[in-house]
Amino acid sequence: MKTYIAQRLGIGLVTLFGMSVVIFLLLRLAPGNIVDILFSTGGYVNPAERAAIERELGLDRPLWAQYVEWMGQLAVGNLGKSYRYDLPAWEIIRPLVPVTLELAMLSLIISVVLGVPLGVISAVRQDTRLDYVLRVFSLAGLSMPSFWLGMVIILGLVAWIGWIPPVTYVRMSENFWLHAVQFMLPALAVGYRSSALIMRITRSSLLEVLREDYVRTAWAKGQTRRAVIWRHALKNAILPVVTVIGIEFAFLIGGLVVTETVFNLPGLARFLVQAILWRDYPIVQNLVMFIAVVVILSNLLVDMLYGVLDPRVRYGS
Amino acid sequence: MKRFRFASLVLHPALVMALIMAVASLATAQTPKSGGALNVMLREDLPQGFAIHESSTYSTSFPALPCFNNLVFFDPAKPTESMDTIVGDLAERWSWQDNYKNLVFFLRKDVKWHDGKPFTSKDVKFTFDMLRETSDARAKLRINPRKDWYANIEHIEAADPHTVVFRLKRPQPALLMMLASGYSPVYAAHIPPAQYRTSCIGTGPFKLKEWRRGEFVEYVKNPDYFVKGRPYLDGLKYVVIVERGTRTAALQAGQLDTACPGETSKTTMDQLKKAVPQMVFHTVAQDVTDNIIMNVKKAPFDNPKVRLAVSYAIDRRGLIQASHQGGAILGAAMLPRPFGIWGVSDKDLLTMPGYGKADEMKARAKKLLAEAGITPDKPLKVEMGTRAIAIYIDMASYVINELKQVGIDATLKQVETAQWHAMATRGDYQIGANLTGLGTDDPDANFYENYACGSPRNYSQYCNEEVMKMFDRQSQELDPKKRLEQVVAIQKRLEQDAPRPILAQRLDYFAHWQHVKGLVPHNNVYNFSRFQDVWRDK
Repeated sequence: MKTYIAQRLGIGLVTLFGMSVVIFLLLRLAPGNIVDILFSTGGYVNPAERAAIERELGLDRPLWAQYVEWMGQLAVGNLGKSYRYDLPAWEIIRPLVPVTLELAMLSLIISVVLGVPLGVISAVRQDTRLDYVLRVFSLAGLSMPSFWLGMVIILGLVAWIGWIPPVTYVRMSENFWLHAVQFMLPALAVGYRSSALIMRITRSSLLEVLREDYVRTAWAKGQTRRAVIWRHALKNAILPVVTVIGIEFAFLIGGLVVTETVFNLPGLARFLVQAILWRDYPIVQNLVMFIAVVVILSNLLVDMLYGVLDPRVRYGS
Repeated sequence: MKRFRFASLVLHPALVMALIMAVASLATAQTPKSGGALNVMLREDLPQGFAIHESSTYSTSFPALPCFNNLVFFDPAKPTESMDTIVGDLAERWSWQDNYKNLVFFLRKDVKWHDGKPFTSKDVKFTFDMLRETSDARAKLRINPRKDWYANIEHIEAADPHTVVFRLKRPQPALLMMLASGYSPVYAAHIPPAQYRTSCIGTGPFKLKEWRRGEFVEYVKNPDYFVKGRPYLDGLKYVVIVERGTRTAALQAGQLDTACPGETSKTTMDQLKKAVPQMVFHTVAQDVTDNIIMNVKKAPFDNPKVRLAVSYAIDRRGLIQASHQGGAILGAAMLPRPFGIWGVSDKDLLTMPGYGKADEMKARAKKLLAEAGITPDKPLKVEMGTRAIAIYIDMASYVINELKQVGIDATLKQVETAQWHAMATRGDYQIGANLTGLGTDDPDANFYENYACGSPRNYSQYCNEEVMKMFDRQSQELDPKKRLEQVVAIQKRLEQDAPRPILAQRLDYFAHWQHVKGLVPHNNVYNFSRFQDVWRDK
């Protein structure tokens, strides 16, 4: 087991190295840099002033030197300084992390709480009216982009009751209920889409398992419906669902851009887009690396869960 | 009997009481109240922090103004800015001497910076030497977009701690207009200018409490403010909302008390009016134009006939309806009346290229193109560059369609914001659809910035010595009537030479809730948002 984890972490490090090279180069391939943006807000460009700022920010050095410096600083936990805000990058990134993590976790909880039971019901009641209704419900969730749903929620609320959730971030310690309301609506918008995916995977996986011989044997032994479905069938059908949940969580960490923008939540994804537009290399590079780390770790966690859920998949035995 | 009835009705105690209460409530409503705070809309985070001198966008000046003061400022209560509406700010009074060659400011003696240090003439000299980039300036800005505004200042003397003298190379009465702009705050000499990118030490009515990046900027009342009894508000909170739909919803839901300049289009106003009838709207000009920039140093636009043909081809009225849903007005380089004072009259506009009947204008465009050797058999193919932002693209798309009708086959080239100004300054384009905002409604600020030889914001690279002399002449003219005549003549000449035909002057339908009092939006997005006299009636 330990060897397996060590191997996976090793592969993870190689992946991170690859990611760092790709994001570093892609950013520099995009047209313009922070200096161009600064001059854009001035409405003109002065080549001498431009060169001075590039020198000040170290953008005049060869690419390899910039990369080596970034890696060196990253190794000692120094994320550098934001070009745009002239502040340490970590100081800017730190408050964004809990917002996105909380939103992603809430969305995931909603999607699992909705998706798994509905998938089970849909599979057990296959081809009944209820199954059709649930399939339409899930298809609608997959078809509706979460940002669109978010916008509809905002506009609907303001039109019908003249109220929307707070547009400034309310910390849990400041006002728990307002904080909960502020996060519940975007989590519902995002969670609905994810739940639709989880529901469909649960349904198809469970349908497959329900046709297995051992399930028939369980029925033949006279076991209760609940025991057959929840103990025998679902436990075996859940592996692909766990995989999807892992992928969804990784996606949510970096993929909440528009939802965070629509609900005006100060999270990672929204800030990442702003940083890309400003070519704020230290912020973008480090945020992307952070997201990559989360993706690698969540994949590892999913693989570990396989072993817990299915005794046949025990690493190192 | 009738008379008795009338008298008894008039003297009825209930009616008298109601009348007294109505008058009293009216009086109360008009008397400013102290206290409370406002939530103000902000469309994006501060691009350069509070460093107004390093920025040319109201995304910086709008939220940074409450922190600062100018030497002089435009009267907050008067929406149309002119020399007559300039009032003292850090300068108690000022005096022109030596036939408008020396400008002496007598400074207030009771002003303190937010960190408690006294404000003196050294701060004024420090600021304007830095802006002029003199050899003995004590600091240098990272970027300096408005250096040209102060090109006529020869020397600044801090005669004593409360007197400062601006010595000019030639008379320039309009210098005061530039100094009154929201783009001309006085910085503290003891603060490095770079520090304004992250924090703010000013003399203004509000002190910075917190800037949470990407979220909000919060100010609290400056208790030591030199105008006694001001500000009325205890605080201001600028809330950054990037998504337009959410911004409007937040205003409608009452989470914001006021919009930000340039944000409320005619369509948005109509929607809000329907949803919230009690919301207050002000129709003002933004002092921002839609214009076409043509590179006069590159073929085919080095040919004045081709440039003029482009100008004739574009139906301005159609653009105003199609792109602005009626939320813009016709005008040349300067803002027309009643929004400004230097604009060309409607009658004169009709005689200028592109402002007449659309069919006739297009026929003239075709004729000019034919004279330049461009016919339907040999159409002109050009690339129309524009910023990859919706308001630019809408305008460019309309113009491309108009040009097609006269035989110019233009293709749209969207340029990222990061590249747009660099490309325009380098002259690395043929033709472009552009927006230009003026820091102040004065011909000097506009002509020297956008049309003068060598100016980095003269994107068309237009340079005409004769026109330069006209610029200088109007700048030195002391008689406002004569100056207006000269300014109108210049605008006609510019439209005739067509390096940068103006298509429309943008309007804003500035919105705020009815409990926000004393907020008078100006016909310029940069100069009215200090909130010194604004109060909350709730």
